[in-house]
Amino acid sequence: MTGASPTIPHGLYKKIGIIGMPPLALIREANVQGLSILDLDEPLVKADLESASPYLPKVYCAILRTAVVNALHLELDAIYADTGPGKCDCALHTATILADVLKIPVIKTINIDSESFGAPICQSGLPLLAKMQAITAGVKSAAPRLNPPPPCPPTAAFWGVPPRDFSILELFPDTTHIYGWARCMENKTPADHELEAEYNPEVPTVFFAQSFCAKTALARYLAGRHPHALYLDLDAHTTSSARAKIQAFLELSGVMP
Amino acid sequence: MIIGDFGTSYCKFLDLSIPDAEPRIIASKELSRETRVDIATGHNGKRFAGRYINELIALARGGETMIEEDDFVLLDCGSRDIKFVKYTKRKLADMGWNAECGASMGFTIELLERYYDLDYTSLMVPEQTFFVTCGVLGMSDIFDTVISGVPVEEAVARFVKGIAINAYRFAGSPAKIYLSGGLCANPLFIGSFPCQVVPLGRFVLLRGLAAAAGLPSPPSLG
Repeated sequence: MTGASPTIPHGLYKKIGIIGMPPLALIREANVQGLSILDLDEPLVKADLESASPYLPKVYCAILRTAVVNALHLELDAIYADTGPGKCDCALHTATILADVLKIPVIKTINIDSESFGAPICQSGLPLLAKMQAITAGVKSAAPRLNPPPPCPPTAAFWGVPPRDFSILELFPDTTHIYGWARCMENKTPADHELEAEYNPEVPTVFFAQSFCAKTALARYLAGRHPHALYLDLDAHTTSSARAKIQAFLELSGVMP
Repeated sequence: MIIGDFGTSYCKFLDLSIPDAEPRIIASKELSRETRVDIATGHNGKRFAGRYINELIALARGGETMIEEDDFVLLDCGSRDIKFVKYTKRKLADMGWNAECGASMGFTIELLERYYDLDYTSLMVPEQTFFVTCGVLGMSDIFDTVISGVPVEEAVARFVKGIAINAYRFAGSPAKIYLSGGLCANPLFIGSFPCQVVPLGRFVLLRGLAAAAGLPSPPSLG
């Protein structure tokens, strides 16, 4: 049953999986109960992505294919999947399929949280990879972040979602700020489309989206409006041509030596 | 200092320490494993050099040394891929590298020339074209067209025109394109673009490597 604020039965679960960002109230409840939360959007098992193919088309969001692979191979008590405006219809259909395939409850949620937590990590001088890891790890906690890192002046920006393959992030300087849905994640407002569409026109920006994701349209549109941008979409892995495009973009933009 | 552009089908080398040296071209399949250069670019380059510069950067740096205009689009059509850089006011404004959906176009053009024993300098630019997205899919169009009774020369010319139009669109459909790569020597390909084409030859990336090394390009690179 779809609902804005589903609850977690007391004492029934020990380990739950999440897809997207379920509402903060639900994460808070999971934290209070001391449940282990696994973010199924991230690669967690060694099984090949192809093992999702019986359930999802091969030409489909690699994040959701990853979530299906995780769901098939991990021992979970339940899955909470956000299927509202903070995620996508693809997640809605994936949750429907998982509910049919798995023997555990798969609960659809709609996260329309609007309380802003800020985005200090996005604006910090941490390595971009560490920034993104901190943001995605933050999804599993309802507590406000203590001792946020100080901000740094940006020389570049990465707009988009956390990529399926984080190795792409190693190419950027530490002074890269994060925009797009990843910023919404840190702010704990994944359905804030106005925040998602923000960018900094003052610094060269890579507008990234997962291949076959609806956000490719927004990423490409915003890249067209930005005075100095590179639009990039990637599927499961970072290709050598994508890597070269980013390197060239940053070097020719004067960001990297 | 030896610089090398290690392409999929051909490798180009130049020894910058020899005055007036001419670039050498070697088929990639004949390349010795012991080959070593100081700076390399290209698909196969990393294995042969201590310093590697990726192809887009080499292309852009080469274009900067060869093109005087403030605004330009430089397109490189290789055996395996197509890539472009667009400059506005002498600054990078856009770029692209299509190694998947636009794959194997240059390779396929050369393959067809040998398979059908064609001379591209004698083929006319056709009225019709195929809507080509990659070399492999384009070959199916050729075979189907030949079966339907169209001469091989006409079918291949439609394919080449389709590749040119696809590359033109990939580069953003500009009014003028500076062209890099071995296909600069193919008049059918150049004539098939629906815009002005300025061929710069196949050593643009070598010029980019020389620029990256902080050395002037010798006249032999065009």
